[in-house]
Amino acid sequence: MRVTNSMVMHSTLSDLNRSLGRLQDSQTELSSGRSIRRMSDDPTGASSAMKIRGELRRGDQQSRSLTDAKAWLNTADTALLAGLDILSKLKEVTVQAGNTGVGDTTVRQTLAAEIGHLRDDLIGLSNTTYLGRSVFAGTADGPAYDNTGTYLGNDAQVIRDVGPGTTVEVNLTGEVLFGSQSSVEGDIFAVLDRLATAVASGDTAELATEHDFLDAAAGRWSSGAATIGSRASRLENVEARNALAEVSLRDTLSQLEDADIAEALIGVKANENAYTAALQAASRVIPPSLLDYMR
Amino acid sequence: MSLISGLYTSLSGMNAQRQVLDITAHNIANEATPGYHRQRAELSPAGVSTVAAVFAGNAQQTGGVDVVQITRIVDQLAEDRLVRESAMQAGAQTLSTTLDRLEAAFPEPSDNGIAAMFDGFWAGWSDVSSLPGDVATRNQTLERAETLVDGLQRAAADIDQIEATTRESVISIASDINDLTDRIAQLNKAIVGSANAANDLTDQRDIVMRQLAELTGAVARPADGGQIDVSIGGRTLVSGTISQHVEGTGGVLTWETDGSAVVAPASQAASLARTLSDLVPRYRTALDDIASSLVTDVNALHTVGYDQNGATGWNFFDPAGVTASSIAISADVLGQPERLAAGAPVFPGPVAPGAFDGEQARVMSALADLAGGPSSSYRSMVTGLGVEVRSATRRLDIQEDVTQAAYAQAASVGGVSIDEEMATLVASQRAYQASARVLTTVDQLLGTLIERTGVVGR
Repeated sequence: MRVTNSMVMHSTLSDLNRSLGRLQDSQTELSSGRSIRRMSDDPTGASSAMKIRGELRRGDQQSRSLTDAKAWLNTADTALLAGLDILSKLKEVTVQAGNTGVGDTTVRQTLAAEIGHLRDDLIGLSNTTYLGRSVFAGTADGPAYDNTGTYLGNDAQVIRDVGPGTTVEVNLTGEVLFGSQSSVEGDIFAVLDRLATAVASGDTAELATEHDFLDAAAGRWSSGAATIGSRASRLENVEARNALAEVSLRDTLSQLEDADIAEALIGVKANENAYTAALQAASRVIPPSLLDYMR
Repeated sequence: MSLISGLYTSLSGMNAQRQVLDITAHNIANEATPGYHRQRAELSPAGVSTVAAVFAGNAQQTGGVDVVQITRIVDQLAEDRLVRESAMQAGAQTLSTTLDRLEAAFPEPSDNGIAAMFDGFWAGWSDVSSLPGDVATRNQTLERAETLVDGLQRAAADIDQIEATTRESVISIASDINDLTDRIAQLNKAIVGSANAANDLTDQRDIVMRQLAELTGAVARPADGGQIDVSIGGRTLVSGTISQHVEGTGGVLTWETDGSAVVAPASQAASLARTLSDLVPRYRTALDDIASSLVTDVNALHTVGYDQNGATGWNFFDPAGVTASSIAISADVLGQPERLAAGAPVFPGPVAPGAFDGEQARVMSALADLAGGPSSSYRSMVTGLGVEVRSATRRLDIQEDVTQAAYAQAASVGGVSIDEEMATLVASQRAYQASARVLTTVDQLLGTLIERTGVVGR
């Protein structure tokens, strides 16, 4: 093939351009620290990276929801523990009233008054709030029970998304915990009202009936506490799993998107050498011609 | 043959070598001129008639050398290939540039792209579901919706901008094409009218032709008297000295004479046409579909949900705006955060849920993971765009190699080699010197004849 000067120039120039382009690519990779800067750098990898970024952002959101859920459950748990104390005190009082018999009116009056106080404490507990919202009122606005012991809430569930495809119910409604007002015995406040009356009047038969109801209420309470506890421990599991998942997602994202610094550095150096070599070669290839050797 | 004729033989040699020197100088001077093809003086022994002539008699001059013509050395096949490949490269370049701009409208993967805006919007709903009673959280969700709407509108505006620029390019290349065809017609005229083989004019016309091919994919066919006829997609653009014009108004190249569309093969014009007829509408539709599915999916949940006051039936997005450029937050909820329908209807009924119900908001936030939903459609659109950009870039890289090879092939025949010109220079200098020497020798012989003969016995 006949080779002309302009051919040599042309191809040398285009080779130099290409070499410089490669150098620029590897320098950009190094300075930006990312191997995928645009979708077209690696469409498959970039698509995965987008998906993972989305999952990470969702993970952030879910961990916020999870913190919220934990706070709900903690608030309920504290209330439930305090409630257990009140219930056991109520049982003591009931037993004491049974033992006292019908004789001592003053003692019975005092015991009835104590039941009344404990009932008020329980109403106070039923209106426990988290961020201004009653945790036992379902999704209703305002307190769960009024002073007369009427339920103002509803039976709606409060649900949080706490992980990929994982939801947790964070509330117990008043009806579940305090008993249904529409049942035969009524809710716990109705039971306590009748109990106070029975204690005051010394009605032993009624006292025994209400004592059984109180036991049933305490049973509901304990099972409520157990439910909250098991949900809390489930949250712990989910949280740990989420943390693991996040680490692994970040790791994958980094492998997809981030430049391998060592590799990028070597790339820059190699391309720089190639470019310098190409420049040197060009400076030797271009000038000489027969002209240089003629007198 | 007389001694005198020897003088003329030498003279013809010197004349011829002087012309060879001229051509060599011309070649060297144009070594770096774009589109220049080296020329060569074709020498032939004089007095040799190629026509057998009974009555021609003896040739007056039986010796010496004659410069038959100045040839332009060109491999026409390689030149044609270079023109074709240049056109394809210009097309690939234009397409790749347009796709790059399109890709820049969607800066992914990043934390600033539309994907992140989508995620922020869904996360806003999740926050509302956690704190349905909090006005700040509701406002935050509305603001994130605004951000998302802005993002979609800006991407739509970027696509519009690409379309507008492309339309302007079509108009500007139409006037370039008209300019180039006129020049080809002029050069055709000049070539046919020039006495000698118009090598330099032909070089100029080849350059113009290559530019025209890059714009339109036009092809040239040799015509009478060294002219060329140019056609695009089979329709004549230049015939001898008559050139046709095209128009680019409305984003489509049309023939000025009958207004029908110019069917351009792979070239800049073809890529611009493809941008306007395929790329822009396709990605605009894809983006509009995403906006439309966002509006439909969100409104479907929002209209049946209940707001903080127990009211229902509010649209979140304006149901009239179902394209990426017209999407807007509906007047039902704009500036009225309490109207965000966070509450799910209670069945059987449906009746309004409690004021603190966030269930509908939670279901809304789950749209983030809906297969075929707006977020996932957006991701697949952007991935598709990435693949397309990458393949266009690859095609351009390959085309550059092919064009480079075509250039090398053409330049290998037509390019000026300094070494070769130097050798020719030396050879013709020597030949000139030798002819001059012959002239001197003949002169001396004549001198001897004139001065020395007839002096016997003087």
